[in-house]
Amino acid sequence: MLFITEVVAHFHPVLVHLPIGILLLAILFHWLSTKEKYAGLSTAIPIAYLAGSITALLSCITGYLLSGSGEYDETTLNLHQWMGILVAFVSATGYLFSRTKNYSQLKWVSIALLILLTVTGHLGGTLTHGEGYLWKGSSESKKDSTAGTKLIANAQEAIVYKDIIQPMLQQKCYNCHAATKQKGGLRLDSEEWIIKGGKNGKVLVAGSIDSSEVYKRIILDPIEEKHMPPKGKSQLTEQERVLLQWWIASGADFAKKSKEIAQTSAIKTALSALEKTEIVASKRTDVPDVEIAKASETILESLRKKSVTVFEISANSNWLSANFVNCTKWDADIEKNMSSLKDQLIWLKIPGAQLQESSWKTIAALTNLRRLSAEHSSITDKDLEQLNSLNQLQYLNLVDTKITAKGLLQLKANTNITNLFLSRTGIGAQEFNTLKLKFPKAVIDTGGYNVPFIATDTQQLHPKEK
Amino acid sequence: MSRDNQRIIQEANAQTMQQLTRRHFFQECITGMGAMALGSVLGSCNWIGSKDAGSLIHSNPLMAHAPHFAGKAKSVIYIHMAGAPSQLELFDFKPDLMKLDGQDCPPSLLEGKKFAFIRGVPKMMGPQANFKQHGQSGAWISEHLPHLSTVADELSFLKAVQTDQFNHGPAQLLMHTGTPRLGRPSIGSWVTYGLGSENNNLPGFVVLTSGGKNPDAGKSIWGNGFLPSVYQGVQCRTEGDPVLFLKDPAGMDRDLRKASIDAINEANKLTYEEFQDPETVSRIAQYEMAYRMQIEVPETMNINNEPAYIHEMYGTKPGEACFANNVLLARKLVEKGVRFVQLFDWGWDSHGTEENLAIDFGFVNKCRATDKPVTALLLDLKQRGLLDETLVVWGGEFGRTPMQENRDGKKNPFKGRDHHTEAFTMWMAGGGIKKGFSYGETDEIGYSAISGKVTPYDIQATILHQLGFDHEKLVYPFQGRSFRLTDVHGKVINEILA
Repeated sequence: MLFITEVVAHFHPVLVHLPIGILLLAILFHWLSTKEKYAGLSTAIPIAYLAGSITALLSCITGYLLSGSGEYDETTLNLHQWMGILVAFVSATGYLFSRTKNYSQLKWVSIALLILLTVTGHLGGTLTHGEGYLWKGSSESKKDSTAGTKLIANAQEAIVYKDIIQPMLQQKCYNCHAATKQKGGLRLDSEEWIIKGGKNGKVLVAGSIDSSEVYKRIILDPIEEKHMPPKGKSQLTEQERVLLQWWIASGADFAKKSKEIAQTSAIKTALSALEKTEIVASKRTDVPDVEIAKASETILESLRKKSVTVFEISANSNWLSANFVNCTKWDADIEKNMSSLKDQLIWLKIPGAQLQESSWKTIAALTNLRRLSAEHSSITDKDLEQLNSLNQLQYLNLVDTKITAKGLLQLKANTNITNLFLSRTGIGAQEFNTLKLKFPKAVIDTGGYNVPFIATDTQQLHPKEK
Repeated sequence: MSRDNQRIIQEANAQTMQQLTRRHFFQECITGMGAMALGSVLGSCNWIGSKDAGSLIHSNPLMAHAPHFAGKAKSVIYIHMAGAPSQLELFDFKPDLMKLDGQDCPPSLLEGKKFAFIRGVPKMMGPQANFKQHGQSGAWISEHLPHLSTVADELSFLKAVQTDQFNHGPAQLLMHTGTPRLGRPSIGSWVTYGLGSENNNLPGFVVLTSGGKNPDAGKSIWGNGFLPSVYQGVQCRTEGDPVLFLKDPAGMDRDLRKASIDAINEANKLTYEEFQDPETVSRIAQYEMAYRMQIEVPETMNINNEPAYIHEMYGTKPGEACFANNVLLARKLVEKGVRFVQLFDWGWDSHGTEENLAIDFGFVNKCRATDKPVTALLLDLKQRGLLDETLVVWGGEFGRTPMQENRDGKKNPFKGRDHHTEAFTMWMAGGGIKKGFSYGETDEIGYSAISGKVTPYDIQATILHQLGFDHEKLVYPFQGRSFRLTDVHGKVINEILA
């Protein structure tokens, strides 16, 4: 029997929508029927009110059964309950008035009903989704589950509970375990509540993750019914889990700072990660933030006919990437077509290209270029000088070319360069420091790596030799 | 059975036959015939997506196209150590396991578990190598990899990879095709299907094998499954002709070859217009590509022209079939715009049943033969400005047990470890992966993963993500539903992304 009432109770969130819809329809019919065109609707009003009041009554009953679970904030619940009962009562009155065609009274009933429905509905929403659910930013609720904990200026100085654990609980647990709702009789929104536990007993045993239900539920297989947060809700990240485990295992102290608790290297990493950016794939900087008009398909096609690989950098973007790996010599046609792509082209690869001065001029006009790979190409200091116009350039690959330090130093506008590849160029080791000063943002790779031979590289180990 | 009964049955059969007349055929089957006719008429009209199919014939299925989002990596070099190298002798340092060396394995580690060869109660075996921390990241790497230790700060380790297949074939299939059974496309095929190739003269997906044997799962781990066959991995050889039958036959010059390919393709185009089978387009593309490859492949696959310093760096031996040569080729191919290079090196199955498969002999020799080339690959990609856009993946199909193998309950002649599914190490580098990072932990003896567990699906999802794909959206319709590499699993390992 208990089981059946529980199941019936769970229908409350579904059933409540019936009186809301039906009663709103009744009110609509009532107002429409005052117009001559829709006068015929008046016969439908009592039926709508009757159906509305019956479903309202059913909602009250199921709602009462659901309230027995004791998982909700009592003040809000009480208010919601009485407002709900009032809805059922007022809609029944509406039925009586509409049957007796007492429209002047019915008007006041419908206005009262409209207000009651709105308030009761909102209270119900508060009970289900938590306090202030209406105004919660959509950006916050839509956040990727990997985007976790807030950033902290100094994780070692932070108070573990207040600055690390609490924000995590707030984000992932408060919806069902705080002031408005207490699923399983459990609140997690203050030290006292956490220690008190839920209706099935304590959830936190300081120093023991194996007996702390609050941790055990989190590491349960997500397909288990008891897994927390429930399926479909935002889950704890690996970093959050590690930190929660650390906090509980170290005695679940509510006042200590991070540095006062012993830390393994994994914890140190997790803590320092709190200071850095959130764990989401960082946005790449070599793609402009804005969008651009689509390049002409005929131009792309004619380039492709010359064995040039040119395509959009992603399916929802018009920015272009081009690779000339199969086309090392440019003719006038290519130059013309490339010039028309000057707005869209941001990544360009011309490995091994043997280009005329005019072609370098064409490249110099591609002012949106973010990446240029000109390794093994015929580029000289003179050609490079022209590329001064590429002031958005971030990645420049000049490996195995005749470029010298002098050539690079004449670049003035290209201060955005972050990656500069110069191995096997005419640049000597002593010039790298000068270049470093010239391109302060850049990681300059000068190559020349070797993997020194070790005798064991070619020796075979056999049992006798051992 | 009596003779009468037989006669009755014969009679009944004859009656049935008589009733199945031409009229019956028209009466009963006409709707079916109609549907078939309609299907073929509509099929040839190709009223759904006629534009796509029409343009298919003119376009190259390997033409480069855009991924879902701008990926950090443009190519992948996946180094698969076939047979499964021991994580306990390379990266997962377990000093506590040393203390248990030679003791009986506790029953708690054996209850309800199944092993490929361990029977009864095996002995625990401590790490058969000395470990040190390397680089700023303090990564534990054993003495068997002295070269790789110097580039520890380039790597992101996955210390808690888990699989559910403890035999080589199924585990390799799972790793590369997303299922332990045959028939699905490999990850390289999915990638070339999604991205095409940046170089029309080379295949988009190249496979190179070493170690004297193909991996146990055979060629299906670079197969195209139900994807058009143009996306399958092209296996190249390092000895003799890189691709068999690519050369013009004796007495046929290149112009004649071109003329005959054109003629065949004309005929194939007519066939395609009639039957609309995408495999015909694949065939046309393959003929054309083979013709273009005739020039480009021998050039790219020839390592003789590489400068001496490169040969010294990689430890290559031109003319031989060896892992080092394959690694250098992988770099050359990626440099030329090949999307996915898959290296398989066989011989890591260190059971201890023979010298070559002993953890203290054959295994060490495998480490020695591969350490230098792999390290050289990372450094060479780096100095060429290619490491940031090339994702390098290293791993086996599973790990090895902290217990010494006792095949069929008897002591093996050499020291070795059995297949282990519950925790093993892989690493990734370049291609937008964190440098000098380690993710996941195993318990004190390296038996099971305790945090940061990842599955082959997660690794596949991560590789696709780095190339710009949402692994849940890279799908291919087959047999009435959309298939994807990761099936219903997979989560991008965000923790290791730079």
